[in-house]
Amino acid sequence: MQRRSILDQLKSWARVNSPWAIHYNSGGCNGCDIELLATTTPRYDLERFGIKLQGSPRHADILLATGPATLQSIEPLRRIYTQMPDPKYVVAIGSCALSGGVFHGCYNVLGDLSRILPVDAYIPGCPPRPEAIIYGIVALLNSVRNSDQKITFTSDIELDIAEPVLFPRERGEITQPNRQPHADRYLRRES
Amino acid sequence: MKNDLPAMFAILIFPGGLSLLLGGLMFEWIDRKFVARLQNRKGPKWYQPLADVIKSFSKEEIVPAGVNAGLFIGLPIVGVTTALVTGLYVPLFGFAPSHSFAGDLIVVLYFLSVLTLTLGVAGANTMDHFSLIGATRTLTQLFSYEAPFMLALLGPAIVAQSWQINEINVYAQNHTWFLFSQPIGFIIALIGLMGKLELPPFDAPEAETEIVSGALTEYSGRGLGLFHLGQDVEFIIGITLITTFYLGGLANPLEFILKSLGLLLVLTALQTLAARLRIDQTVGLWWRIGALLALIQLIISIAIRKLI
Repeated sequence: MQRRSILDQLKSWARVNSPWAIHYNSGGCNGCDIELLATTTPRYDLERFGIKLQGSPRHADILLATGPATLQSIEPLRRIYTQMPDPKYVVAIGSCALSGGVFHGCYNVLGDLSRILPVDAYIPGCPPRPEAIIYGIVALLNSVRNSDQKITFTSDIELDIAEPVLFPRERGEITQPNRQPHADRYLRRES
Repeated sequence: MKNDLPAMFAILIFPGGLSLLLGGLMFEWIDRKFVARLQNRKGPKWYQPLADVIKSFSKEEIVPAGVNAGLFIGLPIVGVTTALVTGLYVPLFGFAPSHSFAGDLIVVLYFLSVLTLTLGVAGANTMDHFSLIGATRTLTQLFSYEAPFMLALLGPAIVAQSWQINEINVYAQNHTWFLFSQPIGFIIALIGLMGKLELPPFDAPEAETEIVSGALTEYSGRGLGLFHLGQDVEFIIGITLITTFYLGGLANPLEFILKSLGLLLVLTALQTLAARLRIDQTVGLWWRIGALLALIQLIISIAIRKLI
């Protein structure tokens, strides 16, 4: 490992000690979300690690994503990820986010978050216990401490993220984004 | 204690600048730690607020579409600057203020409001609905707590017959604590400070469960860190002001810090006790009860002064 400057070390120290998280459920059954919220209660005390659940993606460093990513929810999921400022990390929580879980092979789910987001840590379980979630996040933080490599991620799925129209009158048009993409565009053909 | 520090030192290191920032971060940590202990958990480590701020500064700052970029970048700087300037006029850690002129009480209160004002303008600048609602609530709350808070600090000023913080301090040092001679004013000043700092019963402007995080929703990275620092500075300045006005003026640093820590713990305990008020309840509380009580307190102290 190459030597890093003091400023870089300071940055990565701050990054490890103050990870703020945002939580998004991409169409799961809410089991993981209940466990995740249980994790934030005083009994498990996430503030020991500096973890704070934030409402705004602009404030967050870690995206805690649960659920199998239904076709309806992949656009908001990708949009939340895009709204987060760099550097950012993704944690996939629960069996559904890993492989589709009980929804594996369904016509309306993607089944694996790593197909649309660069997932940094996977936490298996249906649902994972709060201890498992804390363990997963701390493992991610340890890996962040040891390296600050840029992750290059390419998705095999083309996503049209709808451009918000801020000044429709000035632009003279209101474009309707393609809200209901056909399932074939996202699902891999099993042949 | 006569203060004859060089101007640059006063601005950058001791009463202003660095010590003010570190003191504010320390106060935030004590606040969070005590809340955690009251909720029966361990709470953050002592360097948590510092790590939060450094992390915010090291992150990317996104300037969203549809904002005035100059305002978006400039407002946090203005907010922090005005908060830091007040450090020169208040007796930080019990030392006499490094600068003082007639009427600086008004200036300090004005500068403390400017931070909230920049927060409101910053929220109104973005196109986001959450930050727009947050900005509206921030400004509404500003107009509701400002009058009672001002009246509560006016009580000691009228008794001491001066608008200068330093002279009020000296007066408070040599007489009985204003806490005992003006108890209503003390309570209103304390709760006014909670409104100013947007602490829990009055945190409707940044209500996480309703409007994401209020006026700061669209801020990331540097801007967020700066506003965070500004609020910490406001925290320590507010507590210092109330300590020096109501708890016996200037003192030696140790005694003064103990007093302000006691005040901080009272504020923290009040925070954990109360649930969030709606914005109309906040306004009603301040104008119907707060301003009225503060006025009564003021009239009583003026009447007693005329009689004696």
